[in-house]
Amino acid sequence: MAMSAVARDTVFALRRQIAKIEGTLPERLQAPAPGVPADAGKSDMTLVRRGLAVAAADAFLRTGIERLDTALGGGLPKAALSEIHGLETRDAGAVAGFALSLVSLILKERQGLPILWVGTAEIFHEAGLPYAKGLHALFGIEPEQLLFSEAPKLLDALWIAEEAARMTAFAAVILEIRGSPQRLDLTATRRLHARAQSANRSVLLLRQAGEADPTAAPVRLIVSAAAAANRETVAGPLAGSIGRPAFKVDIGKSRTALPGQFTLEWNPNEHAFAERTENSVAVVPASQRGADPAPASGAVLAFPPLAAPAPGDQPSRQQHPAHCSPRRAG
Amino acid sequence: MISHRDNNTQRIAALDERAEALKLKRGMGIADARAMHPSIDVVEADAEADRRLLEGLADWCDRYTPLVAIDAEDVLFLDVTGCTHLFGGERAMQDEILTRFFQQGFDVRAGLASTPGAAWAAARFHGNRIIASGEEEALLAPLPLSALRIAPETRALLESVGLRTAGAVMAAPRAPLARRFGATLLLRLDQALGRLDEAVSPRLPVAPLSVERHLAEPVMLTDDIERLISRLAVALKTDLERRGEGARTLALLLFRVDGAVSRIAVGTSRPMREPRLIQKLFHERLTALEQNIDAGFGFDLVRLSVLSVAAFDLTQGDLTGEADDDDADIALFADRVRARLGEAAVLKPVVVESHLPERAVAIVPFAEAPQRRAPAAGRTTPPRTAPPMTIYPPERPVRMFRSPEPIEVPATEIPEGPPMNFRWRRALYRVARAEGPERIAAEWWRQLPGEEEAPTRDYYRIEDSEGRRYWLYRQGLYGSAAQAAPPRWYMHGVFA
Repeated sequence: MAMSAVARDTVFALRRQIAKIEGTLPERLQAPAPGVPADAGKSDMTLVRRGLAVAAADAFLRTGIERLDTALGGGLPKAALSEIHGLETRDAGAVAGFALSLVSLILKERQGLPILWVGTAEIFHEAGLPYAKGLHALFGIEPEQLLFSEAPKLLDALWIAEEAARMTAFAAVILEIRGSPQRLDLTATRRLHARAQSANRSVLLLRQAGEADPTAAPVRLIVSAAAAANRETVAGPLAGSIGRPAFKVDIGKSRTALPGQFTLEWNPNEHAFAERTENSVAVVPASQRGADPAPASGAVLAFPPLAAPAPGDQPSRQQHPAHCSPRRAG
Repeated sequence: MISHRDNNTQRIAALDERAEALKLKRGMGIADARAMHPSIDVVEADAEADRRLLEGLADWCDRYTPLVAIDAEDVLFLDVTGCTHLFGGERAMQDEILTRFFQQGFDVRAGLASTPGAAWAAARFHGNRIIASGEEEALLAPLPLSALRIAPETRALLESVGLRTAGAVMAAPRAPLARRFGATLLLRLDQALGRLDEAVSPRLPVAPLSVERHLAEPVMLTDDIERLISRLAVALKTDLERRGEGARTLALLLFRVDGAVSRIAVGTSRPMREPRLIQKLFHERLTALEQNIDAGFGFDLVRLSVLSVAAFDLTQGDLTGEADDDDADIALFADRVRARLGEAAVLKPVVVESHLPERAVAIVPFAEAPQRRAPAAGRTTPPRTAPPMTIYPPERPVRMFRSPEPIEVPATEIPEGPPMNFRWRRALYRVARAEGPERIAAEWWRQLPGEEEAPTRDYYRIEDSEGRRYWLYRQGLYGSAAQAAPPRWYMHGVFA
């Protein structure tokens, strides 16, 4: 039962090494095994530390939301690839907004460094180019800090992102891909992740209308839009107005977290997140302003309404019929 | 045999030796030739293809001198001043050019003289002669008038008065000649004799610097070419350092053994002289072009030239010997991406003073964008892009479409109000909340006189029933007298 101290150190050292190879894992405590009595003594291990026992405190980008940070095991890993998914292409605004708010948090530490946004021509055509003026107002990102790179093909986009991910001159690299191309597999994401780690920079992989493919990214978040709260005025909330941007964030994959859903609100003045616990927004229904409009004739074929899948769960085939699965480029 | 159409008749434009042996001549009608020899093979002349071939040859002649000019449809001028010693003297150079052309299957006459006119005459009428400086007169005197590069009409006139050789024209008094036959005749004569300078205008601008390497054994592999580039770049660096400049545009010329020339250019965002970086740029370019460059039997001459230069600012490295220059890293990164994927692969937004949202941010290629200012630590002045001092700055979307996408709006509650639902990309959206309008009028000061005034736009922020936020606008007004068509709705961007 009593393990020698030397052996334990060796085990820890090996674990640390493995963790280093695999990536900086967040520290996590595992509950004691049921067979082990709690009073076995302090020298005996009742707590098993998984991963890097001495994870640096600043290895994580804290979102500022206590619940989300703990669920992610300290926050979003800084020197890593992080995937942010949008279920449909029309969620591109919310996904881009959430990614940019993370970038804005990163920029608090790395002031003045530029960011690079790599995308395929397809996604920029389908979802629009990031608009520098809007980015400046909401996230405090100067237009001079922005660099776009539009690649005709996915392979070129991956190449640009890989080259950029190894540079320390960028504060963050955003790679945006539409759909689930085969080229974007475990190997491609692992390469991106490894470069992000060695350069100590974050790479955000935005995937619009993509399926939950295998990925090397330690964290995958699924972001969709949430109804915004009303604008705050001196006289209280202004009914019918559209306030700060809000996002619904599901944890799709995390080595530490249990699945969970969060509704975040971005504060563009303080450049910080705030959590909305319950939906305090009374969304003004359309029927209040007149009769309900007649239902659309015929079935909506382009975008059938999708039920939000359970986090970490792959949407079933019925939810992704062949005709609404994203077009493959080239 | 090659025919061409001249005055509505098919005539012989060019013919080979076997046709010549049949006593056919240039300018003879095709019908006559066919009558004489029914078995001849006639091909229509293709001036464009001839031109391309001549340009290809001119490119190839770049290996002897950077000053190559195309004069007529079958003449190339090479200004070999100061180049002959590289090929073992004038005679050796001329022989080499002739041999190589012969091996490629061309029948070439060459003449070398100190003036273009004399060289032209020597090539036409003597064949492969080298005329020393001062011998032009002796060369030209016995030659017929066509050696003077004058128009056929002038020549006919001169012949009609009995001046049949260039020597006769030289002996004649100048003033009456000029009066009767125009200034061109004397100009050509003086140019041929070296009394007047004649500039050969080269096809391509002469590179300020270039280094080249002749290879005994042709190279084929991309790796070998890259290694050569880095060697050449090392040689280039010394020259650039001496001039205090860095390269902005570089070109790599690969001369294939069989005469084809590949020209690969890369641009840099900042002056560059480091061989390692130059090699990196060409590495990307070569990787991208791998399919397009056909090495064939290999390249036997590799030349690296600097096409444009700019002053090179020296920066002092810190004591560790590493200059920590993020901007330089980014510039290099952008150059590499551009070398591989083209000029528009790296873009930068530039804020422009304009009310129109799509005009307010211009997306320009990285190389044309103004350089980024170094981030100042304690900046006191507000940034240039800070919104004006208004309480509510207008909200702008996070993403904007390249061109506004038309949407169908079946109904609005009030004519000038936001839509209640709309159809975009074939899907129906129900509007839950709306803010607006923000009216943006067209910029009349950019309007050309006489142009119709663009309709105003009313922008609305819309939130649909699922919480997504959009930026829509209505172009034009309802019931406006100025326009007949009903206003149309567009989707312009999405909010976070």
